[in-house]
Amino acid sequence: MIIDIKNLKKTFDDGKIVALDGINLQVEEGEFISIMGPSGSGKSTLLNMIGALDRPDSGMIKVAGRNLMKEKDLSSFRAREIGFIFQLHNLIPNLTVLENVEIPMFEGPYEDRMDERAMELLEYLGLADKADRLPSELSGGERQRVAIARALANDPTIILADEPTGSLDSKTEKKILEKLKELNREHKVTIVLVTHDPRVASMASRIIEILDGKIVGG
Amino acid sequence: MKFIHLILKNPFRNKIRSILAIIGIAIGIATIVALGIITEGLKESTQETLKAGGADFTIVESNVSDMFLSTIDEDYINKIRDVNGVKEAVGVLTSVQPVEDTPYFVVIGIDPSKITLSQVKIAVGRSIKEEDEIIIGKVASEKLNKTVGDKISIKGENYRIVGIFESGNIQEDGGAFISLKKLQEIEDKEDKVTMIYVKAEKNANIEKIRDQIEEKYGENLTTIASLEDLQSVDQGLKTVDAASWAISLLAVIIGSIGVVNTMIMSVFERTREIGVLKAVGWKNKRILTMILGESLILTLIAAIIGSVMGVTAIQILTHLNMGGFIKPVYSLNIFLKAFIVAIFVGLLGGFYPAYRATRLEATEALRYE
Repeated sequence: MIIDIKNLKKTFDDGKIVALDGINLQVEEGEFISIMGPSGSGKSTLLNMIGALDRPDSGMIKVAGRNLMKEKDLSSFRAREIGFIFQLHNLIPNLTVLENVEIPMFEGPYEDRMDERAMELLEYLGLADKADRLPSELSGGERQRVAIARALANDPTIILADEPTGSLDSKTEKKILEKLKELNREHKVTIVLVTHDPRVASMASRIIEILDGKIVGG
Repeated sequence: MKFIHLILKNPFRNKIRSILAIIGIAIGIATIVALGIITEGLKESTQETLKAGGADFTIVESNVSDMFLSTIDEDYINKIRDVNGVKEAVGVLTSVQPVEDTPYFVVIGIDPSKITLSQVKIAVGRSIKEEDEIIIGKVASEKLNKTVGDKISIKGENYRIVGIFESGNIQEDGGAFISLKKLQEIEDKEDKVTMIYVKAEKNANIEKIRDQIEEKYGENLTTIASLEDLQSVDQGLKTVDAASWAISLLAVIIGSIGVVNTMIMSVFERTREIGVLKAVGWKNKRILTMILGESLILTLIAAIIGSVMGVTAIQILTHLNMGGFIKPVYSLNIFLKAFIVAIFVGLLGGFYPAYRATRLEATEALRYE
């Protein structure tokens, strides 16, 4: 089991806002799951817990064999095990495509051969000819592919994607989702995708529905 | 990509803001450099004056705030000559006179037969013998456009230039020597001198001679053998030093505020980006290093530009020839100080913004619009 969550709780604003209200979730290595729910349902909070961007109040969460309730060095955990893809690509505007892909490598195993590794990833995503361009010179779909390359930089065990196609047209959306599927199929990367769109969620092999901080289906 | 490469790229994302910050710090650094060059020059020329003619030490009046305000009775010269181990003692009177277009022209009065004890080397003509004769320094000769045979008027009296000298001391080279008697007369300081140069016998113990003099005449006289001795007596040099430090401190404070402001803005604008860096696993230490590094880049560029500005300002001042008093001394220490100040300002000004960047919550930062 790559993700094991038991009775996880998280509140904000001194308990006034209950974001996660006793979540139980188990994910096997190599799965592609979708977490679906309306905005404010707690799906992004859950994703942030799995990615160790935020700490839960109580419960138990184990990811890639590490107990995140006790883990001290969360940044190392993120660098080695997790690849994030955000709704907005969040690329650094003054860095080239290649340099953007290299950003996570400062904290990972490819520090000594960044250029080589980044070029491999860009080739895999069909962006090798755009390596020296700035993000502003790319289309929306291309930027999101760069973001995928960046998420893969340190060879993560899990990819966490928060509305990764939220700002794309449907044709580009399809391409990006197919790429994620291929990644999951061919490279056995576990993928957790958060979306409010049932069409996007249906790309996954399992759909978890979440409402008011509780899992209600899947 | 190297980490340093990333640090170098960031400060110039907002060029105008960074350039303004650099100019602000550079002006501070330029002030430090220019003041340093002047202060060093002042110290060096003072030191040269003390060591005039290979004198072993100089005697000035006790408890006087500035060396050139010292007044000593001429009688002391003979008394000093009688001290055990003293080979020769020569009194000189120093005065500043307006001559032609130069408002500050140093005129030194000395016994013509003792002029050899001063460092003066006659380059053209001969030394003074009569009371209406004068020798002028090489720099003064160029500035006044006068040479041997010409006349110079001081306080309405004409003096014949009989020689041009070089001494290596900027104040002397920009001034002149006349006979002591004559200068005492026109300055209305009969039987007075400013200081006494003392030359010891060969192999004599100079410290012992100084002790004897201080013991006998310590109430009225002070012996000075080095710049350090002088600084404990001379308020002028102390003031210059203190002012130089105060202005440097001010430059540091103003520069730091500029850096803090620039870097806070820069971190604020990149909130979401810093969130991404945290999400991809960057440690706080690396984020701190990046922001501090960017801050240091700004101040180091400012240090280079400021040093050039400071030197240029001094060059312009020297070219304008402000009375020949400024003799620039470009010691390595001045530039070292400028760079140490720049590094200090960079670290001081960058620390708070860098700390704030590390305190950002990744999830909050990623939501930031």
